[in-house]
Amino acid sequence: MTSTLPAVTAATVPAQRQAAPTTCSTGRTQPPVRLRSSRPDLLLCGALLTAILVVQGWNIADYPTLSDDEGTYLAQAWAVQQGRGLAHYTYWYDHPPLGWIQIALAGWIPSALSPGSMTVGTMRITMLLVGGVSAVLVYVLGRRLSLPRWAAGLGMALFGLSPLAVVLSREIFLDNIAVMWLLLAFCLAASPSRHLWHHFGAGLAAAAGVLTKETMLVVLPALFVTMWRHSHRDTRKFALTGAVTACVLIGFSYPLFALLKGELLPGAGHVSLWDGITYQMSRPGSGFILDQGSGSYGVLHSWLYYDRVLPLGGLAGALLLLLTWRWSVTARALAGPALTVAVLAVVALRPNGYLPAMYVIGALPFLALVLAGGAASVAHAVVRRWRAESENRYLTGSRYALAAVLALAAGGYVVPHWYDGDRTAVTADANKPYRQASHWLSTKVADPKDTRVLVDDALWLDLVHAGYRPGLGAIWFYKADLDPAVTKTLPHGYRDLDYVVASPTVRRDAKDLPNVRAAIRHSTPVATFGSGPDRIEIRRIQAAGGAR
Amino acid sequence: MLTSVFIAAVSLALFWMAAFTLWWQMHAWRTPEVLASTRFGRPDGGEHLSFSLLLPARHEQAVLDHTIQRLLESTHTDFEIIVIVGHDDPETTEVAERAAARDGRVRVVVDTHEKKNKPKAMNTALPHCRGDVVGVFDAEDQVHPELLAHVDHAFRTTRADVVQGGVQLINFHSSWYSLRNCLEYFFWFRSRLHLHAQKGFIPLGGNTVFVRTDVLREADGWDPDCLAEDCDLGVRLSSVGKKVVVAYDSDMVTREETPGSLMSLLKQRTRWNQGFLQVYRKKDWRQLPGFGQRLLARYTLMTPFMQAFSGVIIPLNAAVALFLDVPVGVAFLTFLPLVTAVVTFVFEVVGLHDFGVQYGLRVRFAHYVKLIVGGPFYQVLLAGAAIRAVWREQRGRNDWELTSHVGAHLTAAESLREDLPA
Repeated sequence: MTSTLPAVTAATVPAQRQAAPTTCSTGRTQPPVRLRSSRPDLLLCGALLTAILVVQGWNIADYPTLSDDEGTYLAQAWAVQQGRGLAHYTYWYDHPPLGWIQIALAGWIPSALSPGSMTVGTMRITMLLVGGVSAVLVYVLGRRLSLPRWAAGLGMALFGLSPLAVVLSREIFLDNIAVMWLLLAFCLAASPSRHLWHHFGAGLAAAAGVLTKETMLVVLPALFVTMWRHSHRDTRKFALTGAVTACVLIGFSYPLFALLKGELLPGAGHVSLWDGITYQMSRPGSGFILDQGSGSYGVLHSWLYYDRVLPLGGLAGALLLLLTWRWSVTARALAGPALTVAVLAVVALRPNGYLPAMYVIGALPFLALVLAGGAASVAHAVVRRWRAESENRYLTGSRYALAAVLALAAGGYVVPHWYDGDRTAVTADANKPYRQASHWLSTKVADPKDTRVLVDDALWLDLVHAGYRPGLGAIWFYKADLDPAVTKTLPHGYRDLDYVVASPTVRRDAKDLPNVRAAIRHSTPVATFGSGPDRIEIRRIQAAGGAR
Repeated sequence: MLTSVFIAAVSLALFWMAAFTLWWQMHAWRTPEVLASTRFGRPDGGEHLSFSLLLPARHEQAVLDHTIQRLLESTHTDFEIIVIVGHDDPETTEVAERAAARDGRVRVVVDTHEKKNKPKAMNTALPHCRGDVVGVFDAEDQVHPELLAHVDHAFRTTRADVVQGGVQLINFHSSWYSLRNCLEYFFWFRSRLHLHAQKGFIPLGGNTVFVRTDVLREADGWDPDCLAEDCDLGVRLSSVGKKVVVAYDSDMVTREETPGSLMSLLKQRTRWNQGFLQVYRKKDWRQLPGFGQRLLARYTLMTPFMQAFSGVIIPLNAAVALFLDVPVGVAFLTFLPLVTAVVTFVFEVVGLHDFGVQYGLRVRFAHYVKLIVGGPFYQVLLAGAAIRAVWREQRGRNDWELTSHVGAHLTAAESLREDLPA
C-alpha cells in the first residue's frame, strides 16, 4: 500500500513549511527515518528478538499450566478450521470472533499436516509468533517515539523477558493477539512520514485489535492522542478523520455480521449480540483491586508474584511522565504509552469491576516503553542536563560514574529476580497431569466414539483427536448445564454420562453447575494424576450405561 | 453458488475501483511534504518570460471588460492579451475593440469559422502570439494579479513545458449540485492533477493553463474536432514526454462559477465525457513509455463511465446482500464498496471544511448535510451524463451543436447571477 511513498517524497520538492511535532529539543532522540536500513537498529533488535524467542519458546508447552480459556479459544479456532462455523457450540457473541479466526489461520498449515497438533500445548507456538512480532513492534514504537536506541532496546527486553510477560504471552489468549494489533496501530500512528494512509492503517489495525479483544476499546483515546501529536497541522484533519472512519467502519462489521445473521437484537430461540454485551457488562465484579480478600486483589498478586518491576515500575513511570508533561521532552514523546497505562490503571481501579487475569497483557508493552522512557529520561538528566561545553573533566566523569552505578543497581535488583522467574519458565513442567490424563483417555477407554465425557476446555481437543464425538461426546463441562442444546441430550442428568475429568477448573466451577456437581458426586476416580489441589481425576460415573 | 461468485467478483472490482480513485483523490494530503509541494514556489522577482494570454469570448460582452481590466492589473511586466471574438458577434467585438483602444497590450483577433468552437478560436489566434508562453483564460475568469509572476517563476525553476494553475468553482452555496461541483474542482485541482503531473500523464484543464509557444506550435495547437481539447492537449503533450507542472495556491486560483442550471451542468458533463472518450479513441496515450502510465491513462479516460457504472451498482449490490439469501462471507464482500464510498464521503466532508478554510468562506452545517444527501443524486447526474455521452458518441453526434453555448458557456444572463462572489 505504501510502495509509492519514496517516489512521492523524493527530493523534487522540499517541504516549504516544515514539520509539526517538535519532540526533540536536543539531537539525542532523533530517530532515523528508515529503521529498516539502519544496521545498528537491525542488529540490536535482531539480537533481542532471538533472546526473547528462546526464553518465550523454550518449554512453551509445559509451562504455565494449561488454562481453560486457552482451550476455549483454540477449540473455537479448530471449529473455524473445520468449517463448523465460529464455534462448535452455538456462537453466542461472548467475544468478537476475530481473535480465534486469526488463531485458526496461524494454525492452518500445522493442523493440515498433522491434525493432532491442534492441541493447546502444541498450538502455543502460534503465540510465540505473536509475541515475537509484538516485541519487534515495541522496539519500532520506541524508536518512533524518539527513544534512543538503547532505551528502545531496553523497552523491548523488558516486554519480552519479564517473567510476567513470558508466562502470559505463552498462553493462547486473545489479549496477546489484540495487543499486537494495538502496537501496530501505535507504530503506524507515529509514522515518521506522517502519511495519510499510515494513519488510516492505524485505524484499521486498532479496529482489528478491538475486534480481537473488545477491552482494547479503552486504549483508543491514547492512540488518538499519539496520532494527533504525530500528524502535521496541515494534513491533520484528513489523517485523523481518516483513521477514525477506518476504525469505526471496520468495527461496525461486527454488529453488521450479527445483523446479517439476524442476531443483532434479542429474540426468542436465538442468541444475540445484545445479550452477549449485556452478559459481559453485567459480569459479577471481582471486587476492588486494593481490597485485600477481593478476587481482584488476588489477581493483582498473581501478577506481582511473577514480576514487580514491570507493573509497579511502569505504573510509577507513567505517573511520573504524566506529571512532568510540561517540562520533559520524553514525557511528551511518550504521551501515548503513558496515557494507555493510566487509562488501563483507572479501569482496573473501578470499585467493583471484573478483572480477569489476562487484563494486564494489554498494558505490558506500554509499561515496558514507559519504564524504558523513564530510564532514558533519568540517563539524560544524569549525563547531559546542565552540562556546559567547558565542563570540568572530573565532573563529566562523575556523571558517567553515577549513570553506571544506577544502571548496575537496577540490574542488580532486576536480573536475579527475572533469572529465577525465567528459569522456571524454561524448565518447569506444569502440565504433566494434563498430558497423562489425555494419554489415559486416549488409550484406556475402549470405545471413545460412544463415550460421553465432561471435560474442561483445555483437554477437549485432545479428546476430539482421540476419537470422541466433538460436542456431545466430549463435552465442555459447563455446557451440560448452560447450553440447552446439550442439556436436552441429557434427559437423565449425570446418568447419561460416562466420565467426568475433574480438573481444578471443573472442581472450582462445579458448585454453580448442578449437573456437573452431581456427576462428580456420583462418580469414583479411576485414575488420578498429580496431587493436591492441582490434581486431575478421571472419574467414572457409577450409573453409566444402566439408565441409558 | 454462481450468484455468490458473481456478486463477490463485482464487489471486489468495485472496491478496487473506488479504492484507487480515493487513493488518487487524496494524493495531495498524503504527507505534509506532498501538500507543501503542490503550491507555487515564491517568485524571486526576476521576470524573463513574455506571455500571450488568449481570451476567447462569445456573447460575453457583459463580463469581458471586467475580465480584461483585471488581467491588465497583473503585476507581470511583459504580456499581451489576445481577445478572440466571432465575426457574427458584434456586441462582444465592440467591448473588445474598446479595451484594445484603451490599452496597447490588448489585441483583438476575429474568428471567421462557419461553425465556431473554442479550439478553433484559439488556433486562429495562435499565429498572432508573440510571447514565449501562451496562456488560456475564459472570458468570465477572475485572475489573480500575481499569477503571471508565479507562473514565470515556475517555468524557470522547473524547466517545465506546461504549467497548469488552479481553477476553482467558488459559488458552493448556490445550489446542492454547485456544492458538489465546487468540491469536485477542489479535489481535482488541489490534489488529483498533481498526481497526474507526477506520473507523467495529465489531462489539462480548460484555462489557467500555460504552454511554451514553440511547444504548442510544434503540437499544431488544439484539436478542433475534439470536444475536450484541453484534456487532449495535455494527453498529447505528456505522451511525448513534455514536462507538466501543476501548482495550486488558494489565493492564486482562477475563480469560476458552476453552470447555471442542472441541465447546463449535464450538457457540460456530457461534452467532457464524450471528449474523454474521443481522446481515449485517438490513442495518443499509447505512446506513453510506462505500462503504469498507460494503465493510469486508460483508467482516467474511462473514469466517467466507471463512475456511472459504480454509482448504479453499489446500492444495488448492498441491497442484494441484505435481501437475497447469500452466505454471510459473500454478504460481507458486498459491503466493501460501500465502505470505500463512506470513506470517500467522510473525506469529502473534511474537504469541504478545508475548502471553507482555504477560501475564507463560511460553510454551514446545512452545507455538510446537503453534501451528503446530495451525493447519490449527483451520482445519478454523473451516470446520466456518462450514458448520454456514450449514446451520442455511438450515434456519431460529435458536433458542437449541443454544446455551442460552451466556448461561451455562460451566457450574459447566467454570468450575472447575484450570487457572484466578491
